[in-house]
Amino acid sequence: MATKQIGDVILDVQNISLSFGGVKALTDISFDVREHEVRSIIGPNGAGKSSMLNCINGVYSPQQGAITFRGKKFSHMDSHQVATMGIGRTFQSLALFKGMSVIDNIMTGRNLRIKSNLFLQALRIGAAQREEEQHREFVEHIIDFLEIQAHRKTPVGQLPYGLQKRVDLGRALAMEPQLLLLDEPMAGMNVEEKQDMCRFVLDVNEEFGTTIVLIEHDMGVVMDISDRVVVLDYGKKIGDGSPEEVRTNPDVISAYLGTEH
Amino acid sequence: MGFFLETLFGGLMAGMLYSLVALGFVLIYKASGVFNFAQGAMVLFAALAMARFSEWLPVYAGIDNAIVANLIAFVAAGVVMFVVAWLIERLALRYLVNQEGTTLLMATLGISYFLDGIGQTIFGSDIYKIDVGMPKDPIMAFESVFEGGVMLNKEDLYAAVIAALLVGLLMLFFQKTVTGRALRAVADDHQAAQSIGIPLNRIWFIVWCVAGVVALVAGMIWGSKLGVQFSLTTVAMRALPVVILGGLTSVPGAIVGGLIIGVGEKLSEVYLGPYVGGGIEIWFAYVLALVFLLFRPQGLFGEKIIDRV
Repeated sequence: MATKQIGDVILDVQNISLSFGGVKALTDISFDVREHEVRSIIGPNGAGKSSMLNCINGVYSPQQGAITFRGKKFSHMDSHQVATMGIGRTFQSLALFKGMSVIDNIMTGRNLRIKSNLFLQALRIGAAQREEEQHREFVEHIIDFLEIQAHRKTPVGQLPYGLQKRVDLGRALAMEPQLLLLDEPMAGMNVEEKQDMCRFVLDVNEEFGTTIVLIEHDMGVVMDISDRVVVLDYGKKIGDGSPEEVRTNPDVISAYLGTEH
Repeated sequence: MGFFLETLFGGLMAGMLYSLVALGFVLIYKASGVFNFAQGAMVLFAALAMARFSEWLPVYAGIDNAIVANLIAFVAAGVVMFVVAWLIERLALRYLVNQEGTTLLMATLGISYFLDGIGQTIFGSDIYKIDVGMPKDPIMAFESVFEGGVMLNKEDLYAAVIAALLVGLLMLFFQKTVTGRALRAVADDHQAAQSIGIPLNRIWFIVWCVAGVVALVAGMIWGSKLGVQFSLTTVAMRALPVVILGGLTSVPGAIVGGLIIGVGEKLSEVYLGPYVGGGIEIWFAYVLALVFLLFRPQGLFGEKIIDRV
């Protein structure tokens, strides 16, 4: 951890408000994410964590506010554009391509980087063949990294939950994203699986220098691996800072443990 | 024996043609999770376009060579189908991303009626013919093996070969190309596909284009057999049991399903027909489909649906 260089602000979220009909999911949320850091968003159930992530990812368009990513400001983006800009994500409820093998799932993550044309691909000749091999090699690295070599040909629908979560991460990594959004990567896992996933997240962050925005329920995990933490409650920001600062913030304590009377 | 083989081959070749229409259903279902009710209308629309273009070309452009005229008409009809695909994506599907399957099904039902109507408005509603010069005369095979040999319809044989070629190309496209992989990804999960930068709109356009070309080939072959007329849309209804039999998500399933139904229809008509007064051919496929729905609802090759409770 000591060698990690936290850089400039890469993602700046300014005054985001989002509502669904009369329900206010997010109210005036602002925070920033610096390059190479692990930034967590925590909060009780229904605090608006996933909504926040979906705003950054372009799934929801906020009614107010703007998001700046690497100097480019946008108030609404579609998911495809966001991917093109170098933001990858994983899903809370798994959204893998169940009928496809592990390797094909992760290969889809290379989609944006494939240049050769359809005709050459079909015939597997020339540049297309070489390109396919290069991408395949990259994907094999990811598979090694996530320790799922034994399952590379298995249809993902048949894998246990914990491994499916890894494939989901692998697919996002295949995009070589600059910013990676992880939506509860450890939800529903046992202690051992959680530890593995923590290790992968930290390794991604350190080895590839990928900036990570993480949503998590488990306070222990968050405090261990995050550089800075944002705390949401009922769609409002109630705390922001290092894990220590957040841990001792009275608003955060009351949100999690109830108010003292 | 010779007669049995004749019936069998006749059934196989008819089955290949059912497969061709069934393939249109499977393609769109695989790539967008939509059961495309408009496939039959697309077959009619494409056939109408091709029939009329090949009729107009010699008159207005002075192209007398039948082969050239047919070729140009085929390409022009293909372009028309691309435009139709683009319009469908642009005007309807784009606004239905991430919607329920039922919503999308209803949309295709609407598209189907619209295409039926506008096709006949633009191209006319008489019976037209497509003549791509397929030989009508039969050939005799196995004459040395059986007495009298086996009579095969050359037109059916050619049609079956064309259909088989098209199927081969499509398999290559789906399994071996990056676009094919992206198509399969979109079929599995719209949102996840978007998150890794697969452009949903372009993928849907491509799928409908491919389905349009399949409809064109089916329309051309069926049209040259039966004449291009409104009843072509019912050919698509005959492909429904094929899809149920083979599985909605399987390209090989569409082929095998088509062959089983083609053969089943012909054999049951010839061998069981006399006992019940004939007419089996018309309902046989649907009864078979019903049986499959009872015992194997995912079809022969479809993916088994297991839901976590």
